Amino acid sequence: MAEVKREAYFEELPGPRSQEELEEMKMPYEEYCRKIFDPKSTFLKPEALKGIRWLSCTMYIFTPHSVANLAELGAECIKFEMPRMGDPMRHTSPFNEAYLYPLHDSRPRTGTGLGFTNANTNEYFVTLDYHRPEAQEILYKLVKMSDGLTECYRPGTFDRWKQSYRYLMEINPRFIYVWGGGFGYGPKTFGGSYDILGQAHAGMSSITGFHEDFGGHPTKSTNWVIDWYSGTHITVAILAALYWRRKTGLGTMIEFSQVQACTRILGYTVPLYHRFGIVRQRWGNWDTQLCVHGIILCGKSDYPDAPNPQLKYDARYVMVSAFNDADFKELCNIIKRPDLFEKYKTHKDRVHEQAQIEIYRTLEQWAADKSRSEVVRILTEAGLLAMPVMNDKEVYECEHYRQRGTIRWLDDPIFGDVLVQSGYSTGLMSETPRRVRWIWRPVGADNVKIYHELLGYPMSQLQKWYEQGLI
Amino acid sequence: MCDIIWCKKCDTVNYLDPYTFWNWEGKTKCAECGTVYYIHMIQGFMYRGPEERPGEEPDILPLYADKPNQGYECYLPGVEGRTRPYQCLPREVYLGRADTVKFSIRGKPVRGWAPQPPSTGPLGSCGFKWEIEKLSPEVWQEYQEKLKRGEVSEW
Repeated sequence: MAEVKREAYFEELPGPRSQEELEEMKMPYEEYCRKIFDPKSTFLKPEALKGIRWLSCTMYIFTPHSVANLAELGAECIKFEMPRMGDPMRHTSPFNEAYLYPLHDSRPRTGTGLGFTNANTNEYFVTLDYHRPEAQEILYKLVKMSDGLTECYRPGTFDRWKQSYRYLMEINPRFIYVWGGGFGYGPKTFGGSYDILGQAHAGMSSITGFHEDFGGHPTKSTNWVIDWYSGTHITVAILAALYWRRKTGLGTMIEFSQVQACTRILGYTVPLYHRFGIVRQRWGNWDTQLCVHGIILCGKSDYPDAPNPQLKYDARYVMVSAFNDADFKELCNIIKRPDLFEKYKTHKDRVHEQAQIEIYRTLEQWAADKSRSEVVRILTEAGLLAMPVMNDKEVYECEHYRQRGTIRWLDDPIFGDVLVQSGYSTGLMSETPRRVRWIWRPVGADNVKIYHELLGYPMSQLQKWYEQGLI
Repeated sequence: MCDIIWCKKCDTVNYLDPYTFWNWEGKTKCAECGTVYYIHMIQGFMYRGPEERPGEEPDILPLYADKPNQGYECYLPGVEGRTRPYQCLPREVYLGRADTVKFSIRGKPVRGWAPQPPSTGPLGSCGFKWEIEKLSPEVWQEYQEKLKRGEVSEW
């Protein structure tokens, strides 16, 4: 047997030689995280969903967001919009003027509103009036070469147009089909959906806001939280369906009712009712399970001279948490009310509603001559948890977010300098980070790329469709 | 339109429509008889006023005014000396003067102004990159001046 000549010996290889050496060589955890999640290296890394192609026949926020999640993770997503008009969300700007131009060559005086941001990131934008029979061939061709489609029409609409799951799975058995909408099949099948409807119908609004005894009403979250939340849950279902397809080779239909999804976040509300018949009430900025664990109002603003009333008057709220006995005792000492601790020594005593009313009132009386930052400083120095209720200006200026890349400036190829959070505000991924390449593109911007370059239709055909208003 | 100041002298309802979510303090003038009122609103509630301030100048004019007890008489937006014109969201806070955004808050150019020159490809399709230097030279020039003045920052 020939002698094996070893070129390298384990002992000579670089690296740790013992467990102790390994521990010594490891960089501190903070440094390690900064290295692997470095925002500057986002675009140097591969994308997790590269190779997936997804079609999006969606509008507004809820269903588009489910596709934007895929696009930020690297999937090639094609958004269909009605010719010349586009997604109605483009026209739902927060204020009259906040538009980015142009919307389309044929409408020089129309732009896309900032409300469209984050829900259609990194997608390709084509136009197709897909309810017309002559559009069917185009859609079917794309279905054959795609992994899935998300749509948001009333239940059965796509079925009537012969492009629902049961038709498309015959063309492409691996196809994953998502219907997302208000109610889904059932007695209320024809109901449409809005975020506020989701919040109201699922019972979320009934437990949000202050109780009527304190002048409160069932409250809608200002932003369309249920749209964003439900869209994300669709993406979870899509990723599970992709894994299922890897194992079985078969597609799936995902039927996603927005009002149903909202019930998920109600916590113990449903089991509370089934066990005791209790209908849960609102408790506003305080907490039914913990006290002190709420938001209090301070007397002075952090920006007394700011011209913007949102800063001048609103920058006065602080979140305070001191619910265990030691913390609560410390809090009572700080506000010079040790008698309050004597009165409510146990958490069970404190969490009672009358106790909460007294405790929070006392806290606000103490904070009446202090600014928000003073309150935060005093409580934090005493080792208690207190944070200002920040507004978007403060979120923008927050160093923690900047270092982690939570919000970033993007030099959008078309729209210039824009501030984005979108994918960066979700969980970070060391190997395949989410990324934002562009916020959106004008209506039909990628018609030639998709219909001519991908599907191979001649330009003359495209021109004909354009004149007919099909694309 | 919101935030009504009902002038009892001439029975005219003045609609102020203040900006920025109904937090507003200042003086306004009745469109009919010209009486100046001081008001202070917090979150849409009338915290103080309306109080008469004779002899003082108003900060803004109402946007619209009508006389509901006398048929359909009204002052539409933009009546000289009585109501102010409606010009979308004023960037110059409370002055009613709209401003087109050409730069982000850190001073770099955005493509946010209208109308845009048609620059797209066939069938409404569009190239990937908007070359601001070539396609909007006047904004590019303004940007260069901002750079020189040090008005552009990273955050």
